[in-house]
Amino acid sequence: MHERLSFYIKRDSALHHLNPLTKLTLVFGLVLISFLSPWYWTPHTLLMLVIIPLSFIGKVNREFFRAFLRLILPAASFLFLMQAFFQPIGGHVIFKIWFLDITQESLMFAFRNAIRIIVMVSSFTLFLLTTHPSELMSDLTRRGLPGQFAYVIISTLQILPQMQAKAQTIISAQRSRGLDTQSSFFRRVGSLGPLVGPLVFGSLVEVEERAIAIEARGFTSTHTKTSLYDIPDTNLDRTIRWILIALVILVIALKIWLS
Amino acid sequence: MRETAMQRQKTSSWLNIGSNFNTMTWVLIPVAIAINIAIGQIVVLLKLPVFLDSIGTVLVAALCGPWAGAVTGALSNTIWGLAIDPNALPWWPVAFFIGLVAGLCANAGLFKSWWKVVVTGFLVALTAATISTPIAVYLYGGITASGSSFITAYLLQTGQGVLQAVFSTSFLVEPVDKITTCMLAFAIVQGLSKRFVARFPRPENVEAEGGANQTQLYIAVGVVVLLVLFAAFMLRNVLGG
Amino acid sequence: MNLQNVTYKYPLTETPALQNISLQVNDGEFVAIIGPNGAGKSTLCYTLAGFVPHFFKGELTGLVEVAGIESHNSSLSEWVLNVGLAFQNPFNQISGAKYTVFEELAFGLENIGIPREEMKTRVEDAMKLTGISDLAERSPYSLSGGQQQRVALTSILVMQPKVLVLDEPTSQMDPIGTREVFGVIRRMAERGMTVILVEHKVEWIAQFADRVIALKDGQIFLDGTPSEVLTSPLLQENGFGISRYTSVARKAIEMGLWKKDRLPITLDEAVEGFSLLNTDETSS
Repeated sequence: MHERLSFYIKRDSALHHLNPLTKLTLVFGLVLISFLSPWYWTPHTLLMLVIIPLSFIGKVNREFFRAFLRLILPAASFLFLMQAFFQPIGGHVIFKIWFLDITQESLMFAFRNAIRIIVMVSSFTLFLLTTHPSELMSDLTRRGLPGQFAYVIISTLQILPQMQAKAQTIISAQRSRGLDTQSSFFRRVGSLGPLVGPLVFGSLVEVEERAIAIEARGFTSTHTKTSLYDIPDTNLDRTIRWILIALVILVIALKIWLS
Repeated sequence: MRETAMQRQKTSSWLNIGSNFNTMTWVLIPVAIAINIAIGQIVVLLKLPVFLDSIGTVLVAALCGPWAGAVTGALSNTIWGLAIDPNALPWWPVAFFIGLVAGLCANAGLFKSWWKVVVTGFLVALTAATISTPIAVYLYGGITASGSSFITAYLLQTGQGVLQAVFSTSFLVEPVDKITTCMLAFAIVQGLSKRFVARFPRPENVEAEGGANQTQLYIAVGVVVLLVLFAAFMLRNVLGG
Repeated sequence: MNLQNVTYKYPLTETPALQNISLQVNDGEFVAIIGPNGAGKSTLCYTLAGFVPHFFKGELTGLVEVAGIESHNSSLSEWVLNVGLAFQNPFNQISGAKYTVFEELAFGLENIGIPREEMKTRVEDAMKLTGISDLAERSPYSLSGGQQQRVALTSILVMQPKVLVLDEPTSQMDPIGTREVFGVIRRMAERGMTVILVEHKVEWIAQFADRVIALKDGQIFLDGTPSEVLTSPLLQENGFGISRYTSVARKAIEMGLWKKDRLPITLDEAVEGFSLLNTDETSS
C-alpha cells in the first residue's frame, strides 16, 4: 500500500548524493536551455546525451524508463500528433489526411515541441526519483523557504494517497448501490453529489484538530527553526550549479545575439 | 488583543499576503489540493465534459483569501503535473490566477449568494481563458493535449488568428466548468458549521445573505443552463458558419 | 495552576461553555476530570493549554494562570512550551509533515529551534519512556490507533512541558491501546508531572488519580479525592457514570449486606468489601 506519494527510490548513486538544490538547478537548467536555445536539435541532444545517461548514473534507469513509457511518452505523442496535424505552418506539404495538410514544417515544429516537453518532464522525473521529499524540503527550509511551505508540500504528498483510497472506498460503496459509469449523462451528473460529499466533508473535519495539534508543537513559533538532518552541500555541488547557471546565461545571450 | 484602526485597515487590504495565512490555512491547503485532484479524477471516471479540478482552490480562496487560493492552485497544478499528467505542468499560472481572482471576488463580497457565485464563476472563467491563451500559443503553438483543441484546430483552418482561435475555444469551454466549480465550492461552504468557518482568515466572505436559499439556487442553475445553451449556439454558428 | 472565576464563551455562541470556574492545582498533582457530554471538559482542557482564548478567540473573563503563564498577557507560543495537549483522535494529531516516527517526534523540536544533538537525545529518551523505540523508522500512518496515540503523547512529552493536559486520550482505542496509553500516563504521573486527564473510564481514575473534578454545564460540580467524588450519590443523579464496583456495592447496601463504611471504587476495595459479606466481622 502506498502510504505516501513519492517517486523516490532509495539507491546509492552519485545523483543521490548530490545536494537537492543542485539537482533542482539541473532540472531548471535543462528546461531553460531546451526551451531557449536557438539550435533546433538542442532538446533531442539533451535528452540523449544528458538525461538518459544520468538515469543510469543515478541507478534508477529501470524505474525511469517505466515512467517514461507509461507517463511521458503517451502524453508527448498525443501532443506531437495534435501539433503535427493541426498546426498550419509552412507550405511544403508532405501528405494529406482527409482535410488536413501535413507539412514538413509542422512535423519539425511538433517534433521539437514534443521533445522539449519530454525533456521537461523526464528531468523532473529523474529529480523526483533521486531526491527524497523530506531531504528537499529540509534543504530548502535551511536556505530560507518558510517552514509552512515545506509543511504544505509534504503534507499534500501524504494526504493524496489517503484521499484517493477514501475515494476508492466511496466509489466501491456507491457501485454496490447502483452507481454506473456507463449510464445516462444526467445520472452520472447526479452521482457526482454522493461521491463528492462524503469525501470532502470527511476530510475537512480533520482540519481543525490537526491545526490544533501542530500549533501544540510550535508550528507558529517564531524561533529560528533547526533541522534534524544535516544535508551536505559540497564543492562539487556548488561547481555544478555555477556551470549550469553559466550555460543558461550563455544560451540566452546566444539567442539574443542571433535574433 | 486590541487592534488599532490602522491595523484593521491593513489587514483588509487585499495586498496583505500574510493576512491570508493562519495555521488553519496551512492545514487546509493540502486537503484542498487533495480534493482538487480526487474530484478531478472522479470526473474523468464519470466521463463528464468538465474538469472540476479547482474546487479546492476556490474553497481556499473564499475562506482564506486570494493569495492562499493562488498558492493552492499553483501547488495543486504542479503536483498533478508531476504525479498524474505531465502535460498539466506549464499551466500553473492559470491555476494561480483562478485562485487569485476567486479570492478577490470573495473579498469583494461575491461569494455570499448563489447568483453572486455564478458571477464569480464567470469572472474566473474569463481569467482562465485569458491566462491560458498565451501559454497555449507560446508553448504549444495553440494546440494542446486537450480535446478542446479540435475546436481550435478547426477555427485555425478557417483562417482565424491563433490567439483569437485559442481564446474563443477557452471562452466556450471554461464558463461551464468554472461556474459549476464555484457553485460546488459554495455548496460545500454552506454545509460547514459556522464555528468551523470562523477559524479561517476570512469567514466573512462566506456569510450567506438571504440569497442562499432554494429559489436563488434554481435561478443560478437556470443561468448556467442558459449559458450552456448560449455556448452551444455560438459553437454551432462558429463551426457551421 | 490557578483559575479564578473563569467564564468563557466561544465566538458566535450565546451560552458560555465555562461558567465561573475556580480551581487550584498543585505541582505534581494528578487530576481527573469527569462529566457528561457538553459539560465543558474539552473547553476546560483548551483553556488550561492556552488555546482558549488564543486559538479559539471568543470571550474569556477571569484569571487563568498555568505554569506561571497568564492567559491575558501571553501568546500561544509561550503556552505550548509549558503545557502539552493531547486529544481523542490519534490520527488527527499526526502532523503529516514527516515520514518516520522519529522525524515526527522531532517536528516540534525543530519548530522551537532545539539544537540537533539535543533533539536526538530528547527523542530517544522520550521513546524509551513511552516504549515506542521499536517504531522509530515506521511511517506514522502505518501504526495502529494505540501506537499512534502513544506517538502523539510522546511528541508532546518531547517538548518537556511542565503540565500535561489529556482530553479523553483512550476514547477511540481498543482495550490493548487503552492499556498502552494509560501505562504511559501513569508513568508520567509517577515521575511527578502535573497531569490533567479527562476520562470516562472511572475505574482507572479511581486507582491512580489524586483528585477528581466533576464538571457539569460548564461548572465545577464536585472536587475532591476519588473516593469522595466517585462514591457521591450526586453523581448518579446527575447523569455521570460510576464504577461497576460502586454500583454493585450500592446494591449490597440496599440489601443490608455491606459491612464497610465506605463504598469501593476500585477492584481491590470491592474484593476487600465483598469478602466480608459472609462473615460476622465488621470493619471500617
